[in-house]
Amino acid sequence: MMRISASRKLFFVINNLILIALVLTMIVPLLNVLAVSFTTDLESYENTIKLFPRQPSIEGYVTLFQRVSILRPFLNNVYVTIVGTFLHVIICSMAGYVLIKEKFFGKTILVYAVTIPMMIPFEMIIIPVYITVKHLGLMNTLWSVTIVGVVSTFSILLMKNYFEGIPKSLEESAFIDGAGESTVFFRIYLPLAKAGLATITIFQFVVKWNHLLTAILFLNSPEKYTLQIALKSLVVSQELTSTTQSVANNTRMAGIVIAIVPLIFVYVFAQKYFIKGIMIGAVKE
Amino acid sequence: MEHIKSLAGHFKRIRMLYLLILPAVLYFIIFTYFPVLNGFRISFQDYRFIGASKFVGLKNYIEAIHTPGFWRVFGNTLILGLSNVILTAFIPMFLALLLNEVQFTPWKRFSQTIIYMPHLFSWVIVGGIWIFILSPNSGLINILRSFFGKPSIYFMAKESYARTIMIGVNLWKQSGYVCILYLASIAGINTELYEAAMIDGAGSFKRALYITVPELVSTLKVVLLLNVMGALRIFNQIYVMRNEVIAPKIDVLMYYVYDRGLAQFKLGYASAISVIVFVITMIITIISLKLIKYKI
Repeated sequence: MMRISASRKLFFVINNLILIALVLTMIVPLLNVLAVSFTTDLESYENTIKLFPRQPSIEGYVTLFQRVSILRPFLNNVYVTIVGTFLHVIICSMAGYVLIKEKFFGKTILVYAVTIPMMIPFEMIIIPVYITVKHLGLMNTLWSVTIVGVVSTFSILLMKNYFEGIPKSLEESAFIDGAGESTVFFRIYLPLAKAGLATITIFQFVVKWNHLLTAILFLNSPEKYTLQIALKSLVVSQELTSTTQSVANNTRMAGIVIAIVPLIFVYVFAQKYFIKGIMIGAVKE
Repeated sequence: MEHIKSLAGHFKRIRMLYLLILPAVLYFIIFTYFPVLNGFRISFQDYRFIGASKFVGLKNYIEAIHTPGFWRVFGNTLILGLSNVILTAFIPMFLALLLNEVQFTPWKRFSQTIIYMPHLFSWVIVGGIWIFILSPNSGLINILRSFFGKPSIYFMAKESYARTIMIGVNLWKQSGYVCILYLASIAGINTELYEAAMIDGAGSFKRALYITVPELVSTLKVVLLLNVMGALRIFNQIYVMRNEVIAPKIDVLMYYVYDRGLAQFKLGYASAISVIVFVITMIITIISLKLIKYKI
């Protein structure tokens, strides 16, 4: 047994102190937000550190749903997230499947066609995309924010990666039995790539749930608003930008809480897919 | 005859492959390739939604170069972008090295889980949280300051703090994510290297310096590349956290494009700036690829 030196002990203490400080800078703001969201209107303005509400109250949430009427944007967001994620998963996995096929006429050009867009940041084409959406008559519809961004090279390549890990012998015997490409894809490849499907589903869920830029560009009437754009005017409202009628801090924090809860829920239940996806993403990009 | 039959079967199969990839290709044509070309065209026009758009040559580009506002946001973008590139590459690396020395696994896993979390949140959430925490009366920071008898500061209304806040909050949001990248590549390091070093009597600091850090260089390159490609794209954070007081210090190129293009409807001018930024991004990316000798 090696003797643990004094400097080693010191390092151990300092290291853990740094990590505790780091974890606290992440947790304390979130606890503060959560606590303030459950205070009364009056208490939410007090300048004391709140990690627990003194007298728990749902005043903030009541205001959020009644006066601010967040329910509509919330439901719109649920709709856009579910439909958008579903389309994303099906379209990207179909494309990923085609990329693992051995050379066929036009394959090279198709590979380029679906990979080059990775080099083109969406932020840099917002003006022409805005014009396209306008010409397609999709302006101020939930379809606009559902469709724009529905396909990503990242997910196509991630699915291709997963499909490549499936033994070729399975599809060969299916083809001998007379199955077509679509049968092989839907019956053999999709069911065997569940981990891949889970990964892109979760990632796209987060992306769609958090979508802001497309909503800023395409939505202009409150009944079409999705969550982030509705929350933006609520949580950012400060004395400097007095565009909205003022609401108490508890309501603003309640808005943040309802936007966070679905994300935390997904994160807790699907953490292993996040780590997997991050790694593949970094290697691929 | 058998040959023709198999050829027909072959075409049928290929047709199905085309059908499977069609939605993705169609999407990219409509929402990426066409807009890229259209944006390029519009940048040479005095674009109008109704009626004919006039071709104006390089006028939009020349106007951009002669507009002080353009150079101001250009400078802001470079300052914020460069700081983000460097800080969110090296600080998470330092954190990963510290986390790697933690022996107690549940605590290690817990802290990883927590520091990754802000990466999931949208900029509206993160911006909202920090605007509240930095607010003059009920904000956490100012309450802490008042404990020490210091006066309250309205952080979000001070030009001198604006950039630091933007960079710091970005670091808060992204560092956990980058840290996980490093931790995963540390996990992939061959343990024999450490065992050999231990036999040679190297302490944990020396092992980190001579084994872990060099092994992390390839991950560092990827992180730097991703950061560089994202540097000029900053939009959401600024859109959420800006206000008129601090705007001169933090308005960035993409916000400028959005504002000129879709708030003031100078679409040709905004497109010209998009094209400029796009070209610069491409050049920086290619240079970075060469510098770090990254193999795709």
